[in-house]
Amino acid sequence: MKEIKVEFTLNGEKIALQSEPNRTLLDVLRQDLGLTGAKDACGGEGECGACTVIINGRPVNSCLVFIGQVEGQQVTTIEGITPQEGYHPIQKAFVEAGAVQCGYCTPGAVLATKALLDHHPRPSDQQIRAGLSGNLCRCTGYNKMLDAVHLVVKGEQND
Amino acid sequence: MTENYQSIGKGVIRKDAWEKAVGKALYTADLPVENLSYGVILRSPHHHARILEIDTSAAVRVPGVQAVITAEDIPGEKVFGPLIQDQPSLAWEVVRHLGEPVVLVIARSLKAAEQARESVKIRYQELEPVFDPLEAVQADAPQLHPDGNVVSEIHVGDGDPEIGFQEADVIVEKTFSLPRISPGYMEPEASLAVWEDDGTVTVWVSSQHPFTDQAAISAALNMPVDRVRVKGAVIGGAFGGKEDSSLAILAALGAWKIQGTVRLVNSRRESFLAHPKRHPAHIHYKLGARKDGTITAVQAEAYMDTGAYASYGPAVAMILTETMTGSYRVPHVRVDTFVVYTNSPLSGAMRGFGSPQTHFAVESALDMLAEKVELDPIQIREKNILHPGDQIFTKVTINDSALALTKCLQKGRELVEEFRAVPTPEGKLSGVGIALAAQSMGLGANVPDDSSHKLEWAPDGSVLIYLGSPDLGQGLAAAAEQITAESLGIPFDQVRSLPLDTLVTPNGNVTCASRMTYLVGNALVDASQKLIQALLKGAGRLLDIPADQLNYQNGMVLKPDGSEIPAVEFISRLAEDSITLEAESTFSFPYPEETTPQHLPIGMPHVLYCFGAQVVRVEVDPDLGTVEVTHLAAIHDVGKVINRLGVEGQIEGGVATGLGYALSETMLRKGESWVDSFTEYLLPTALDLPENYQTIILEVPETSGPYGAKGVGEIPLVPTAPAVANALYDAIQVRICDLPITPEKVLGLNKVS
Repeated sequence: MKEIKVEFTLNGEKIALQSEPNRTLLDVLRQDLGLTGAKDACGGEGECGACTVIINGRPVNSCLVFIGQVEGQQVTTIEGITPQEGYHPIQKAFVEAGAVQCGYCTPGAVLATKALLDHHPRPSDQQIRAGLSGNLCRCTGYNKMLDAVHLVVKGEQND
Repeated sequence: MTENYQSIGKGVIRKDAWEKAVGKALYTADLPVENLSYGVILRSPHHHARILEIDTSAAVRVPGVQAVITAEDIPGEKVFGPLIQDQPSLAWEVVRHLGEPVVLVIARSLKAAEQARESVKIRYQELEPVFDPLEAVQADAPQLHPDGNVVSEIHVGDGDPEIGFQEADVIVEKTFSLPRISPGYMEPEASLAVWEDDGTVTVWVSSQHPFTDQAAISAALNMPVDRVRVKGAVIGGAFGGKEDSSLAILAALGAWKIQGTVRLVNSRRESFLAHPKRHPAHIHYKLGARKDGTITAVQAEAYMDTGAYASYGPAVAMILTETMTGSYRVPHVRVDTFVVYTNSPLSGAMRGFGSPQTHFAVESALDMLAEKVELDPIQIREKNILHPGDQIFTKVTINDSALALTKCLQKGRELVEEFRAVPTPEGKLSGVGIALAAQSMGLGANVPDDSSHKLEWAPDGSVLIYLGSPDLGQGLAAAAEQITAESLGIPFDQVRSLPLDTLVTPNGNVTCASRMTYLVGNALVDASQKLIQALLKGAGRLLDIPADQLNYQNGMVLKPDGSEIPAVEFISRLAEDSITLEAESTFSFPYPEETTPQHLPIGMPHVLYCFGAQVVRVEVDPDLGTVEVTHLAAIHDVGKVINRLGVEGQIEGGVATGLGYALSETMLRKGESWVDSFTEYLLPTALDLPENYQTIILEVPETSGPYGAKGVGEIPLVPTAPAVANALYDAIQVRICDLPITPEKVLGLNKVS
């Protein structure tokens, strides 16, 4: 298949790449760009949220996005929210709350949380659950993820 | 309590969490490698068929293809299996389940590999399949293996059930059906194999037992074990489903064939179809009791569907059988268990290992009995629970851990009352249920059940743990580090576990069976003592003072004159002389002498038990049949908390898995296939959690455990489903005997048996 040129903003930097148009953003991130923080857990069905990235402020399953669809868009991956030194407050909260076990779902859950808090800085419990409901986790039972979100929210209050 | 621990019992932050949170943890599918070739597997499209011909001629001509491998290309053992070697790495002659691997294709690109896979032509002659173990044991059923469809059977008893049932005033008798459950780890199976220039092969695995993989690869490739090096990458969950080999063998086979580097990653569909599940089972359960509620007899017959190959089926059957009286005293017992081959997807090890199945029967039956003898669910349990010193029907004596049962019921009664006081919304009916749970620790007597680990004191003063059993994500490494830090009296941050590498790591044995904190902890307590002795010996030599006149405390060597010298000074000096301070220790699970087969009615009895209880409140919509768990309290004895966050995480995650078992998960047959995606296989989400959840941790010290600790990996999911079923009955007097509890079943609309 003939390759297309795609230009978009990835983690704050404009990039241009060549790809066959029928490839997913997840595949391009993992295979071409070496950004393996986004994971494939459900086989490209958009069921698990392990491949979550943020596109224009919204959490999106990158396995359901063809690379051509991100033309001109703002894409943020887990690598993009991690500061050069230290950690994003959500990452810190996930770690300190014990919300990280096997960790396979963690990058996706962290990004889903970021998208949630960007839109709802003071989410209700129900909003947190709904915000994380697209991210499957078999290890934690989600309790400590909810704790983590509360930690982040509290941290902001202290600022 | 007067204990003053530095690390033990604290909610320490596990060190691997940071790299996981930033997305830098490298799972097998993430490992960067050069000159990678891609492996894909052509799998059986049939449940049961004869392979008449495999034509790979078109596939090998696809540009970029490096190898098209069938069973006849395997130089060594063509079959594998943890207990019975009955599972082909690549099928020949016959395929016995949908998704069984038949051909392995290796190519320069994934696309070429997939294209070649489509070009392989296989002619099959379909054979009649059988899916239900009750049908598979019939004489006229299709036979899957030469020795028939019954893989193993257990017939065990104590006392005389006939007498027991004669003594009974009340009898409860029901058949319970348990569904096929996926371990549901987020990381599908993966393996990466590198053929090295020196003729060895290095294989990265996402596996609970890399040493088994090493042996299986060695057998399949017909090369010595020491030429196979297996390394553990970060593991994205396992829950029992990664005890079997399979992809590791195929990746190594591919690497050997092309003398290159091959990665295989299962899709979720492949994972569903080809990796072990929790056994579906039919359990016919009969319970007799006096009218005061005292249980007199249990008789049970269980048929387990182990799928096309045995996997861990016969071992799962042991715990399924042994837990058939749950947490209760029963004088007269008879259990007959059959493990049966079918053309269903493989069943094997999964968190709980037989115990979740039996507990659904046992704990449902207890509530049915309570109703008949007009006791409440707590009273019926109080009357019958095990106490320290009681012997169960396997002739195993339960130790002080049984004290936890009394505590569970005391706490349970408070919680039942608290949950009953919650107002019920209009249009809903509410109910409260409780269930107890017993889960064994360890592999069982008469099978090797030991674990070796090594410590090294590095010249900078940090201590490295060569952890012989992989951390599956549950936090084993952190627990090991805490126990080592405590034992050496040094800070947690100074201890670090290393990734498993069969070249340098001792064999810690398979990570499973709620036994790792116990085994690893005990081994590391001992290794720490040996390490201190090695230090004092070295220090004595450097100081010219006999080692036995030196003492060690909290990172300092104490001289006879009372002065202290930091241990690191000796360690670095010794390192200059090329002396490495290290100590290895093996801990063997203690089995009393009387647990030998000639004394016992069962082959490999489990002797240490963990106990717990869960209390559940549900709200039921009587029009829709929907069941919502609004409140859940999980009460579990862990002996001694090592890592508070870890213990809570194990319990919370287990409860979620238990809720899936109760309410949503089942891998049904669907037309010609099976439910094979998360679209239809419904893992609980964050929205499915009870709004009111609490973990209550009991600490009844296990004297043989490290700092009193025992296991907690499996038990949290065991009581959940029966507690939900009991709460549902309490709400609407509908007794569900087949999981999962669906609205159709609640409304009595379910058409299937």
